[in-house]
Amino acid sequence: MIEILTVVGPTSVQDLGRFDQYRFGVGTSGAMDDVALRAGNILLGNDENAAGIEIPMMPFRLRFGRDMAFALTGASVEAKIAGRAIPPWWRSHARAGDILSLKAMPRGARCYLTVGGAIDVPMVLGSRSTQFRGEFGGLHGRPLQPGDILPCTSPTSIIGELGVEPADITLARPKASEDETIVRVVIAGEYEAFDGATQELFWSSSWKITPQSNRYGYRLQGPAVKPISPIEKRSHGIVPGVIQIPPNGQPIIQMRDAQTSGGYPKIATVIRADLWRAGQTPLGGKLRFEQTAYTEAIAAEAEVSAYLDRLRANVRLVEEIRTCR
Amino acid sequence: MPIETTDIEHLAQILERSGVDAIEIEEPGRSLKLVMDTAARMAASPTLAAAASPAGDHSVIVKADVAGYFLAAHPWRDKPFVAPGQPIEAGAIVGLVKIGLLYAPVVAPAAGTVDTVIAETGATVGYGTPIARIRPLVGSSPIN
Repeated sequence: MIEILTVVGPTSVQDLGRFDQYRFGVGTSGAMDDVALRAGNILLGNDENAAGIEIPMMPFRLRFGRDMAFALTGASVEAKIAGRAIPPWWRSHARAGDILSLKAMPRGARCYLTVGGAIDVPMVLGSRSTQFRGEFGGLHGRPLQPGDILPCTSPTSIIGELGVEPADITLARPKASEDETIVRVVIAGEYEAFDGATQELFWSSSWKITPQSNRYGYRLQGPAVKPISPIEKRSHGIVPGVIQIPPNGQPIIQMRDAQTSGGYPKIATVIRADLWRAGQTPLGGKLRFEQTAYTEAIAAEAEVSAYLDRLRANVRLVEEIRTCR
Repeated sequence: MPIETTDIEHLAQILERSGVDAIEIEEPGRSLKLVMDTAARMAASPTLAAAASPAGDHSVIVKADVAGYFLAAHPWRDKPFVAPGQPIEAGAIVGLVKIGLLYAPVVAPAAGTVDTVIAETGATVGYGTPIARIRPLVGSSPIN
């Protein structure tokens, strides 16, 4: 088990998400950076859907109740286990009583802690992800608090320390500037309801992620983007990644705790292969949208899969070499 | 076709990893025999390798135990893992060896003070390549 000692902000238990309940109005939830959660689980030889802890704010501290392997992926954090510094995207081994302490987050927005095995909270509607809106899943359907005890299923086998190349490096994309993240989007249902100059404004602007942004959605700040005439639609199905334009012309990107329906006009949708990049852009950070086509969006998913396949093969090879010795 | 030195290195690594002591390859007109120094291997632990340097000083050489590219710092960090003159604990990370997508740690076999970091970032290293030199604390001995 794990005991939470220090936590600020909405830290939660997340697996890859809840995918079979959408038609009943239950959102997916799941890790905002699914690539990082998968990578952590691959490092530990877990099922890639094993639940971990999504940590969006520092400081964070926890105590391991028994010997277990763990991994940190996602955002770069200054991490120490029992006083010893560990690099980003790294797996290590804790002894019973060891304290893991995360201090600053110089890069990214969410760090993932996975353990050899899984965070063993009950499965609710097919997933262990915390659903903040519905207040279920995860640990009692709420953010973690100091004193919380998280049960873990973890094998006690000892594995060596090992790191992997962060997805951000392997899957690097051209950057407009150091402080801007480019995400690829496909145009959505109401794109044509904006005139050419407004569409151009949407593409050419740098969009700041406001403090009113979280797992539900990112509220962006930039020039007002408004349709030719006001659009009022009945609520209809939407998915994480959809970029809506509310009446004030300031876009909202629906994220992993998004509602399953909404009525605002949709100008574009962040492709699934880039949603983790948005998830790792911190409050105050900037996003820029790059138009892409459906086929390219599918190809981008194949690139992410190829990265994860290589990780899996590489980690397996290390275990085989270690066994040979 | 002549046998390249790199091929021999590669073969040696395979032997090292698989625990095979020797290999002989004979083809018309040439033969190659590789015999592993098993005494050295017995002395090396699976995850780290250390050896007292010659010439009677007590410094400890930190060696790579896999083949790949050496990284003195994590790509996300400006600061290298260690700098000359700093104290270091046994088991602390001295650098990384990048193999494919993996970052394998090179760890200090003994506590002491970092004397020099021998390997440079981007350098190709192999099993046994010296990475750094450590002046161990008086009275401490390598953990292997």
